[in-house]
Amino acid sequence: MTFHRITPDMTRRSLVDTLGDLTTRIAASQKEVSTGKRITQPSDDPLGTQRAIDLRGALAGTAQYTNTVQDSSGWLQTADDAMGQITDVLHRVQELTVQGGSDTTSQTARDSIADEVDQLINAVKQNANTSYQGAYVFSGTATTTPPYLQGADDTYKGDAGTVARTIGPGISVQINQLASSFLGSGTSGADGKLLDTLRGISAHLRSGASSDHDLLRTTDLSSLDTNLDQLSQARSTAGAMMNRLDAAQSRLADVQVTTTKVLSDTEDADMATSIMNYTQQSNALQAALKTGASLIQSSLLDFLH
Amino acid sequence: MTSSWLGIQTSLRGLLAQQQALDVTTHNVANASTVGYTRQQAVLTTTNPLMLSTGATATGGAIALGQGVDLQSINRIRDTFADLQFRAQNQSLGYSDETAKQLDQVQSVFSEPSDNGISNVLGKFWSAWDDLANHPETTATRDAVVNQGQLLTDSINQVSSQMTQVQSQAQTEYAQDIGPNGTVQSAATQIANLNQAIKNAVGQGAQPNDLLDQRDVLLDTLSDLGQVKVTDLGNGAIDVNFGDAATPLVADGTVTWPQTLSAPGGRLGALLQLGDPSTGKIASFLTQLDSFASQLQTSVNTAYGGTFFSGTSAATLAVAETSATLHASSLATPPAGANDAALAVAGLRSGTADQSYSALVAKIGGDVANSLNQRSTAQALQSAAQDRRQSTSGVSVDEEMVNMIQFQRGYQASARAMTTIDEMLDQLINRTGRVGL
Repeated sequence: MTFHRITPDMTRRSLVDTLGDLTTRIAASQKEVSTGKRITQPSDDPLGTQRAIDLRGALAGTAQYTNTVQDSSGWLQTADDAMGQITDVLHRVQELTVQGGSDTTSQTARDSIADEVDQLINAVKQNANTSYQGAYVFSGTATTTPPYLQGADDTYKGDAGTVARTIGPGISVQINQLASSFLGSGTSGADGKLLDTLRGISAHLRSGASSDHDLLRTTDLSSLDTNLDQLSQARSTAGAMMNRLDAAQSRLADVQVTTTKVLSDTEDADMATSIMNYTQQSNALQAALKTGASLIQSSLLDFLH
Repeated sequence: MTSSWLGIQTSLRGLLAQQQALDVTTHNVANASTVGYTRQQAVLTTTNPLMLSTGATATGGAIALGQGVDLQSINRIRDTFADLQFRAQNQSLGYSDETAKQLDQVQSVFSEPSDNGISNVLGKFWSAWDDLANHPETTATRDAVVNQGQLLTDSINQVSSQMTQVQSQAQTEYAQDIGPNGTVQSAATQIANLNQAIKNAVGQGAQPNDLLDQRDVLLDTLSDLGQVKVTDLGNGAIDVNFGDAATPLVADGTVTWPQTLSAPGGRLGALLQLGDPSTGKIASFLTQLDSFASQLQTSVNTAYGGTFFSGTSAATLAVAETSATLHASSLATPPAGANDAALAVAGLRSGTADQSYSALVAKIGGDVANSLNQRSTAQALQSAAQDRRQSTSGVSVDEEMVNMIQFQRGYQASARAMTTIDEMLDQLINRTGRVGL
């Protein structure tokens, strides 16, 4: 605006206003440089703030899913180890069955073999009772109840529930196997599963009847094969789930990196630009101070005597 | 034929006039930094001439002989239109400045985006439920859920109460300003008194420039608080209409205050608008916060299959379950590892509640950014209006120095003229007709 008459008061006020303006802008740049953030309060960029809040929420979610994936992997590893142990037992029982079924074995020997088989049954049940962080992994959702009791009772004590975990937004997976599916409930269940087969083998070894010795060589061995298949199936299901969790983990890591980058783009200041702005404004302030100082001091009074 | 003493009288008038003009100049210089001071100008005019009807010129004609200078008046150099403009911009600045100030307070209550705001606590809350879903058998995860829930409700309660505090502070400030000890009352009383004094002075034919300045400063103060409309009554007094009050605030010597205002503009308008508990801006933010709290409560309770959160507003939201009563499953007799309820609640992350919250923060940020922009614009306009006033009314010390030299020389010239005439008269009186002495 041009005026025909400029008073010293106008010049002074204009200088004060300009200095005030410059120092405000420098303060903002300085804050940006020292915090490294472009957005320190919502009014700096309202939509950016909304995006930043949403992204931080997503990051927290990704971190939590990663935790869950690692926890679930631990569970599955425990289950797989236990099933591995049971598989070893099964192979041992196969050897013992062949030995026991042979006509050259004496009844005393068969009795000893039967004792070992009984011990192996306990070992199987003990493995089935594995727990992970206080939860029995093979009991379905009855995680505080062991699936089997030691001793003569072979009935499955757990339930048929699904242990579910969330490994991504809206992605729920089942991480458990039911012991009843590959071990069964023993003789009372009469389901042809491993415990039933093992009890049968033990009984056939002890009976002394040659018909039972025949069974040892035929039906029992083929039952053991079937049981091995059932066990392998359970293991491969667990293995597939572990693969899925591995894939989920690396995908979550990627998402973490991408989201962090987008958040940084939204929230963070570009250091080079910020420092340059700060330097520029600093220079402008120096110039304004210098020229202002020389301007407001001179008046006609300096020249009148 | 004119009097012998005419010249001396003319010089005397010159001396007096220059001296008075110099007095005005020194008054201006003394008040160069006074707030609201309008520079004064001595108006010097020639006196009425002495009419000599016949015999004054060689041809016997008439002349009008000048008799010197008189100080006609001391004028106050003020542009009333510039005053109108300034007061309008000042009112607008007062409004946007107050709005920006209050809204900025509201914004800082939220501490977003950062690790200290509600969004961070909310994220931890969802994670606690997911941890419970992963380990429903343990009490540690239950404790964590209840704790995080309480942290969340505490944060929400606090934000609500702090916003309410800003709102009630605005109301208090407003009440104080319009109260019997407030700025409006004192300004109005002073204006009424000045009206009387100015009217008296004008009635006696004087020009009470400094009183007028004082009255204008009071009007400027009022214009910051609300809209001011001035009606000149012609006798030196003014009527002042303030805001949208029904009766004039000041009518000559009468002050009518307090009155009720609904949209006065200026700072009072901003405080009134922001502090209004039903239609105010802060009230609308509180409503949005309440709706966020209500959404949170509904969605969590539905997914939980029970009453996890009690209270439907942001101020009353609380955790209704304890670690002992918390369930991870909404089945009637759930097995130890059942986690359907916990999974459902954890799955609410990034859902409607989160989105509602971030939208609220963005809205507040947007409103604050708007008010800051409006403030800078209003500031620029007010400065320009102030400059316009100053350009007309401000004292320029350089100008006054030049005037001072001018009047000083004028005084010296008149004094010298008087000395000359004195010498002439001395010659006439003391040395004419004395021969040989």
